[in-house]
Amino acid sequence: MFIKKYGDIIVGIVYAVLGLALIIAARMLPKSQVMDIGPDFMPTVVGTLILVLSIILLLQAVQELRKNPDKEVGKDESDYKRVLLSLILALLYVFLLKPIGFIICTLVYLFCQIYVLAPDSHRTKKDMIMYLIIDVVFTLIVYYLFRIGFKIVLPAGILPL
Amino acid sequence: MGALAQLGAALIAVCSPKSLLFMVAGVAIGIVFGSIPGLSASMAVALMLPLTFSMEASLGMNTLVAVYIGGISGGLISAILLNMPGTASSIATTFDGYPMAQKGEAMRALGIGIVFSFLGSLFSFFILSFFAPMLADVALKFTPVENFGICFFALTMVAILSSGKMIKGLLAGMLGLVFAMVGMAPIDGTPRFTFGSTELMAGFNQLSTLIGIFAVADILKSAESMNAKGIQTIPVTKVKGFGFSMKEFVGWLPGALRAAIIGTGIGILPGIGGSTSGMLAYVTAKNMSKHPETFGHGEPEGIVATECANNATIGGAMIPLLVLGIPGDGVTAMMLGGFLIHGLSAGPLLFVKNADVVYGIFAACMVCDLIMLLVEWTCIKGFVQVLKVPKHILLPLILVLCAVGAYATNNRVFDAQAIVLFGVIGYLYHKFGLATTPFVLCFLVGNMTETYLRRGIMSYKSFGAFFTRPIFDVFWFIACGVLIWSVYKEIKGTKKEPQD
Repeated sequence: MFIKKYGDIIVGIVYAVLGLALIIAARMLPKSQVMDIGPDFMPTVVGTLILVLSIILLLQAVQELRKNPDKEVGKDESDYKRVLLSLILALLYVFLLKPIGFIICTLVYLFCQIYVLAPDSHRTKKDMIMYLIIDVVFTLIVYYLFRIGFKIVLPAGILPL
Repeated sequence: MGALAQLGAALIAVCSPKSLLFMVAGVAIGIVFGSIPGLSASMAVALMLPLTFSMEASLGMNTLVAVYIGGISGGLISAILLNMPGTASSIATTFDGYPMAQKGEAMRALGIGIVFSFLGSLFSFFILSFFAPMLADVALKFTPVENFGICFFALTMVAILSSGKMIKGLLAGMLGLVFAMVGMAPIDGTPRFTFGSTELMAGFNQLSTLIGIFAVADILKSAESMNAKGIQTIPVTKVKGFGFSMKEFVGWLPGALRAAIIGTGIGILPGIGGSTSGMLAYVTAKNMSKHPETFGHGEPEGIVATECANNATIGGAMIPLLVLGIPGDGVTAMMLGGFLIHGLSAGPLLFVKNADVVYGIFAACMVCDLIMLLVEWTCIKGFVQVLKVPKHILLPLILVLCAVGAYATNNRVFDAQAIVLFGVIGYLYHKFGLATTPFVLCFLVGNMTETYLRRGIMSYKSFGAFFTRPIFDVFWFIACGVLIWSVYKEIKGTKKEPQD
């Protein structure tokens, strides 16, 4: 599997880039007029540390790979379709929360998310009805609990509430 | 009159039926607020404050104390059952509490958490009752320099946390530091890494980051194997009493005492807070343990340490609050407001002028602590019912609660969006074998470290002058020692490996 074999190398490269970016970005920050240690100090320190550590990690990983290049790794049986769909749904949910409103967004999101996560054997019509009931009841409970109980008004969006 | 006699008299006064009733209600409300992420103890106190106006002074203060104590300890419930820390103080509880719950030991984990929360707070309240004025003097000795020493010490703990895979552990932590730097720089307010966004100016909210890294990442992780594993519910083994034997209890006591001391100590220092004390106690427990490898996989001692420490912080935080009138964080500031309204004048003369009121507060703390224990214990059976909901239904419900909670913290929809970002980071960390604990620790301490460093430089001009402060020296050299020792152990460990 790709991630297991080259994981450390990827991590090393990503961090090295991040470290470099931090150092460069820190140089562009204004220096403090009154103190030796200005807002650029921490980013520079952290960036340098990241760069050094990531290079060590890269060296270690390459050495490891050379030593046993055909390392046996188990097959990845992760269901990335469900992961990706869940992520897209969650992203849509949080970004549409404000413009469309809590109630509509949550009603749609919850149902879709439960459907995506449900095992194939649990997507029958009967299950669907149950999911829908849970969805509606939960959304309304949360909305009114926050509104009446905690005095927090969740985004209303397009619903005239 | 001696402290003990006054405390006794106050205890009797607190136990009037009317005040008991209000305290039970206060604790229950506090627990609800504490267990829902985004609804914090400070919010609960703020909401209850106007309700106490019409009460007589002592009753009003007792109610506020009850809400505060309930609010701090309530976080452990959602941390253990749902991997969603209800308050920032209970982050470290998720490390071992959630794995225990997944193994079917939810009731045991809750029992342990509740009992040691109780003991942790009780310990700190005793310290508060007898040593408050003395300790307040110590607190005054802590300038930004000493606080920087503590923060630096906490950061080096990352090295211990990640022994065995040190490079990756340190890198995992570094990203936490990077995220902590986003927003306005301390002292001068220079915007850093905000990419022109006004929302990023305030930085990432603590709670939404933690929720994302734990709860949201959990949804993505679970999605991987949802279909293959079929319908999943978490088994719950029924337990008697609190779920542990006397022998186990005695075995945990030394660790609990250590954690309680750490918690009270951190609590006394204004501005560091319960989340850091819980993490520090957890790391210390892991480091002192004979079997550190079991930590993070459902080790009861992990829960003992964090819950003891974060609750002991309450009593610690009350010391500067009452004696010096300095609140350590939002919640204690709110409490101070409440106390002032009810006629308490916090400050050095407090123990001379208002002794009866002060001991009343101490007594209320202890009684509320006991009420917390009883309320949470009776409700354990109810709490674990949550786990009966199959995972594919439970997880989406949690995500909605997380989003709402993150939103409610500051009424910013941006915080709700941030949880998904941190969810993705948490998921990637899991995929690439990076540990999330260092990330969390660094993220929490990162901003404080920089603030105190720069404040210290402001008043002492140069870093070298820091070393004239003895307390700073102690923390600095212990931290350096820890760092060198862990690096040495790490190098020795990797050299040994090939020969095996």
